[in-house]
Amino acid sequence: MSPLRRFLRAPEAVAGAILLAALIAMALSASLLFPGDPQAIAGPALLPPFQDWSLPLGTDRLGRNVLAELFHGARTSLAVGLAAAAAALVVGAVIGTLAGFAGGLVDEVLMRITDAFQTVPSFLLALAFVSVVGPSLGVVVIAIALGTWTGPSRVARAEVLSIRERDYVAGARVIGMHPMAIAFREVLPNALPPVLAMSSVIVAAAILTEAALSFLGLGDPNRVTWGGMISEGRTVLRTAPFLSIVPGIALVLTVLGVYLAGEGIVETTAVRRGLS
Amino acid sequence: MSLLTVSNLTKRYRRDKKAIAAIDDVSFHIDPGETLALAGPSGSGKSTIARLVLRLIEPDAGRIDFEGNDFLALSGAALRARRARLQMVFQDPLAAFNPRATVARVLDDPLRIHGIASRSERPRRVAELLERVGLTADLATRAIHEISGGQRQRVAIARAIATKPSLIVLDEAVSALDVSVRGQILDLLLDLQRQERIAYLFISHDLGVIRAIAHRVVLLDAGQVAESGDARTVIDAPQSAIGKALVAAVPRLNRIIRQDPT
Repeated sequence: MSPLRRFLRAPEAVAGAILLAALIAMALSASLLFPGDPQAIAGPALLPPFQDWSLPLGTDRLGRNVLAELFHGARTSLAVGLAAAAAALVVGAVIGTLAGFAGGLVDEVLMRITDAFQTVPSFLLALAFVSVVGPSLGVVVIAIALGTWTGPSRVARAEVLSIRERDYVAGARVIGMHPMAIAFREVLPNALPPVLAMSSVIVAAAILTEAALSFLGLGDPNRVTWGGMISEGRTVLRTAPFLSIVPGIALVLTVLGVYLAGEGIVETTAVRRGLS
Repeated sequence: MSLLTVSNLTKRYRRDKKAIAAIDDVSFHIDPGETLALAGPSGSGKSTIARLVLRLIEPDAGRIDFEGNDFLALSGAALRARRARLQMVFQDPLAAFNPRATVARVLDDPLRIHGIASRSERPRRVAELLERVGLTADLATRAIHEISGGQRQRVAIARAIATKPSLIVLDEAVSALDVSVRGQILDLLLDLQRQERIAYLFISHDLGVIRAIAHRVVLLDAGQVAESGDARTVIDAPQSAIGKALVAAVPRLNRIIRQDPT
């Protein structure tokens, strides 16, 4: 059975894929369906959902179109989540590989740095970094990656420690390959599968961290974010709860979709590796 | 002058603060184009010597001279360049290759690293190497895990001869192969030795194979040389206790000796 068919047989994976596809469609179509600034005033303030069909989800405290904000917010969530997770995975895999492969003093130093990052709560680290450097999309990505690369780095190191004793690494040394080439061409690609298996959890966590930062007012102020929308709605929570609930639901579905689809991909490819 | 001279080689491992000598004061030499067999029971240090000679691990004491130079004095780029002359074939032909590699990449690597052929020339050289070890050139595009164990060991030999070495260490290189394939691989090795004058350090526990292809043999016991000399002389009439025990443990061998009057 092909991995795709196996993937399609798992209902939770399909549900995750559908949610993820919807999110990507939202992000891609945001500027087509809602051209212009999503933060512009579009109608009367605090219009409830399903009243005016030109503003299906109503308007917020300042009269902005909630649906437009939701679509543009999907872009930020997805971009920040994927970029932060990719940065964390790349940095983690490279540092873990160097530490595991070099051993000795290099390993000691890199692992103590990893320890230092791991002992600080990752959200606190992100919070401190954004408040010092100032909120912008790139800074938020770095801030989130700063707290998440340690997991992949430890997993990569453990994997490399076992791989570096294999015969094919000795074989690469015997033919005179440079140690850096051995580490990154022979060892790293074979250490990646368990590291990549963490990616669904990391992307989901990164999306949540971005929302939390925005909720605290530390997101990029020039972009609509779901965390920012929830934060805005908080002031009118009693009179217009939908302003917090709608982006909240979007956030929950996104994290769920990313997690389920990611797990589905990992599981189906894991079985394939086991067979070959 | 001998090709490889190993003098007073010693390697200790630390366990529970006690140093255990895996290799204790071992000396031997190999002449150009000669096959020297290393034999001994499990744990006698055969593979450790192979790894020491290849500089995969470092000895605690002793000296290794290869092609007239102090091999242990080399490091970095100079060591990597010299490795072209000293190659290895591993026991398990599947574990010896990157699981993601193709046959072409496995053979391309040594040619590229040692600058033996230009980029455009390399595919032709890969095909030549494959034909040299009795495989067809169309095998180059296959993944390592797609070919049979015997084909894989031929690819391993092709990789070892790609850099035109003067010595190949064969660490139990035919032990994992079934008997019919084993004979073909041994024939290929003898053929290469005759044509290119490659010396072999042949590590094996199979005294029958050693008697058939090795010129001289060194018997090891607990990291020390127990006995050494002409392969047939030693195996037909072992003098040391471990030599007698090893020969007695091979039921097939008695029959071979009776059939062969030498």
